[in-house]
Parts: sequence; C-alpha cells; structure tokens
Amino acid sequence: MNNLSSRFKGKRVIMICGSLLILFGLAGLLAPWISPHDPIRVNLAAKLSPPSWEYLLGTDQLGRDNLSRLLYGTRISLGFASLIFAASLGVGLLAGVVSGYSGGWLDAALMRLCDGIMSFPSMILVFGLIGILGPGLSQLVIALMLVQWVYFARMFRNMIVSLKERNFITAARISGSSPWQIMSRHLIPNILPSIVVIGTLEMGWAIMDISAMSFLGLGVQAPTPEWGAMLNEGKSFIRNHPELMLYPGLMIIMVVASFNLLGEALSERYGIKRGS
Amino acid sequence: MTGIAAEYMLEVREVTHTYAASRRWRRPAKQDNVLSGVSLHIEEGTCLGLLGSSGAGKSTLGRVILGLEPPRAGQVLIQGQDLYKLSPQARRTIRRDLQVVFQDCYSAVNPRMTAEQIIGEPLSNYESLSVQEQKRAVGELLECVGLSAEDMQKQPYQFSGGQLQRINIARAIALKPKLIVLDEAVSSLDMINGAKILRLLGELRAAFGLSYLFITHDIKAACMISDALAVMDQGKIVEYNDSKEQFLQSSHPAVRGLLDSMLAEHPRNRHRELPGLSDLSGDSAQ
Repeated sequence: MNNLSSRFKGKRVIMICGSLLILFGLAGLLAPWISPHDPIRVNLAAKLSPPSWEYLLGTDQLGRDNLSRLLYGTRISLGFASLIFAASLGVGLLAGVVSGYSGGWLDAALMRLCDGIMSFPSMILVFGLIGILGPGLSQLVIALMLVQWVYFARMFRNMIVSLKERNFITAARISGSSPWQIMSRHLIPNILPSIVVIGTLEMGWAIMDISAMSFLGLGVQAPTPEWGAMLNEGKSFIRNHPELMLYPGLMIIMVVASFNLLGEALSERYGIKRGS
Repeated sequence: MTGIAAEYMLEVREVTHTYAASRRWRRPAKQDNVLSGVSLHIEEGTCLGLLGSSGAGKSTLGRVILGLEPPRAGQVLIQGQDLYKLSPQARRTIRRDLQVVFQDCYSAVNPRMTAEQIIGEPLSNYESLSVQEQKRAVGELLECVGLSAEDMQKQPYQFSGGQLQRINIARAIALKPKLIVLDEAVSSLDMINGAKILRLLGELRAAFGLSYLFITHDIKAACMISDALAVMDQGKIVEYNDSKEQFLQSSHPAVRGLLDSMLAEHPRNRHRELPGLSDLSGDSAQ
C-alpha cells in the first residue's frame, strides 16, 4: 500500500514538473510573439510603474516591461542551459565511453585529468576560466562546459566499465563486431535511459550557474534580459520595489525546483543514481 | 596450411597464463599461474569435456582459445594456424570459426535487442546479406534450435532461460563455425532443460560437423556429450583420457572429488564405491 502511494506520488511529480517545464519551454520559444513589449526598449517616463493592463507585472527602473523581460529571460536560461548540457554531455560521453572501453593508459590519463578538474571547487574553476576568457555569455558557456564534462565522463566511464564485464560484450567481440560497433550498438544504448535522468538534474545546475554568474556580472551583460542579471539590477531597489528581485527569483526557483524534482522522481522510478 | 600429418581442429600447446596482481611499491607483482603448461587437442567433429571445480582455470582456457586473451606463453593452433601469430585480417577470418555459449544466458544477450538483432549480429558482421536474406537466415536458425521464426521480434525478457540459451546457441551457429566453446552452457538450467539443450547440441554437432569444448563441473553432463574428458586442477590438466572407463578408474584427488560430488540416483546407492558407466550414459538424464 505504502509502495503504491509513493509510486503514485512519483508519477504525479513527474506529471506536474514535466508540464511546468514544457510551459516554460514554450514561453521561452514563443517569447518574441507573446511578449507585450520590447524587453530592452527604455521608457523612462514609465519607470517603476505598478502592474497595470499595459504592463501586467509593472516596469523596472528604466521603464522596461517586467513580463517581457522574464519571458525573454526564460529563453536565455533554458536555451543556454540546454547548450551547456548538450556540449558537456557530448564531450563527457565520448571521453567516458572511450576511457571505460579502452582501459589502460588512455583510461588512466583521462581519469587523472578528471581528478585534476574535480579537485577544484567548480565555481572557483569557472571564475578562473572567466578571468582568462573575459566575461560574456559565450565565454560563460565554454567555461561551464569545460567544468561540467568531467562529471559526465566519470559517470559514463563507470557505467561502461561495469557493462563491459557482461557476457554480451564478449559475445559481440566473438561475433566479429568492431570496438566502434560495440560502443554504438551495445554500450551507448544501454546507458541512454540514465542520460535522461542525469540530464534533468544537470539542467537545474546549469540554470543556477548561469544565473549566479550573471548576478555577479560575469555572464550575461546588460541590457540582455536574464534572470540573474535582473536580480542584480533590481537589488538597488529592494526596499521600495522588492518585486524587481522577486519575479526573477521566483522564476529561477520554479524552473530549478521543477528540474530537480523531476530528476529525483525519474531517478527513483528508474533506479539511477547521480555521481560516481 | 602447414603439412602436419595429424592436424587437429584445435591444438593447445603448453599454454601458460597469468593475471598480474596489482604491483606493490618497488616489488614485482606476485604472480599466480592461472594456467601452467596446458596442452590438449580436439579432433574435428568431436567433443572434449573439460572438467574441474571453480577456479581451476577452465574458463580462462576457454578465453585463451577464443582469442580473447593472449597467453603469456604457449600456442593455440586452429587447424594448424597459430591464432595469436596471424595478421589481423587472417585472425578475423579464423575467428568466425570459433564461437561461444556462456553459462549465464541472460547476461549473454543485450537486453535492448530483439532475437532477430541478437542472432543477426554475427551475420551482419561477416556476411553481406540483404535485409530479406538475413531475416530468412535468422528464421531458419531459430527453427534449427527448436524455436519458431515468429519469435524474431521478441526481446530477451520475453524468453525463458532455456529458450534464451537456444537463442545463444543460434547466434553461435549462425556463421557455421567449426569449434564452439560451451562455457558451462547448461549449468544454470534445470535438469530437464539442460538435458534438452544437450540433446540439441548433439543434433547440431551431427548436422553441422561441429567440434565442442564442453567446459563444465557437471560430470554427468560431460559424459553425455563428450568423446574425451580432461580434468583441470589449479591451472594444470591432471587427467586426460579418451576412454570414459579408464577415466572413472583414475585415482587423482581432483577426479575423485568430481566423482564423489555426484549424487546417487537413490540414497541406498550412495555408499557404492564407484559410479558405474550406466550412471553416466545419456539415458539417465533424460
């Protein structure tokens, strides 16, 4: 009975978080068509105006429409988080599969590189890379990608090592399959389900990181609307206009929480754990 | 081919193999020989039963024979050709003659593939068949092993253990190999299914002219199917005999251990000195 209700709860969490995220995704995708105003057009005559029919969520200190900026911000956050996820997944998958399958010195070299990168707190490493590359969105994406791939690589490597011991890999070798065929036919299809689960958790982290770095002025630059940057711009007005920080903060919380809850529910449902 | 007068299907000459333990600081790794000076041969169309308890090195020998692990020393000759001294192309050609059936039929198949993909894998690697031709070939193979061509689209979880082992056998015979290593191929099945699979293997041997290396710890099963028997203990062949009668008289402790482990058919027979040949013939397991 207990088991049944928890399973149902898991299913409900997946439904709710999944549809919320689809909603956010659509909002980001359709931002140019559904935003009532241009998110970067300055209108000082209407600055800091309260919610009205014209400006549903009011305006910021430069008279820009808050709702439009939030919608465009969804685009940046989700879009670039997906980009970071895809890039680090690609690099990590390749490194992990090659490392796990080949073993030997290549495995040792790649894993020591991962150890090296993982031995720094990841934020410090991102700061360092931004310091070298300079602030900006594309630099931020590169920096986060360079830090994130090692976690994927380590995880996939461990999965491959345990899969490799299974007899069907030996049978495939005996059947005359090349290492490349073994990877693409046998190894990668068997770790795909976990990519979905890990991916949802990873997206939450990536969105947090983008926002955090933008808040510090190291990521998205003004006037591009982004939640972290909006938090930063709104912080001078926290006494009289806390909503300027509240809106983007709520958006970050909702999206990240949805991703994390979805990831947790999926991993519980399919028995996949994050990390090495 | 070299002109050796008696050319065996498989000949293993003085094979020694070691798994290096992790190396200690400044001290060379302690080496335990998993195989030491193993020699045996299998004639074409015959079956050698390789017996021994767990850890005796039977499966390692199987892996060495299959070309999966180069041994530290010694030779593996397939019809007179040294498996580990061939060019990669020649080795690829000769490898299609060597196939394997594992004990754990569930882990021997990719859980995400259909029976058609599993059996079709060696075919697609070695034969250039059209999609239709390959489908027909897989259907014929399924019928060869006592399944139906309609099972083609099923996935491993839809088969029972015995059926899945038949799929593994179908994959092994897909390329019409000359030697199949049966690594405890019936040990994880129940008596009835095991006997059925053994009978199937016997039929396939007659039909395709196969040779078997039958690795097992089950002396009854080995006697059912084998023409010659060898016993391994701690990496060495301790008994090697073409005749089952002489084999049963052997006094080596490892052989005695195997014979003693056999349960008598009836408790009142359990103190009998030696199991007779009638216990070891095929009839009793059917």
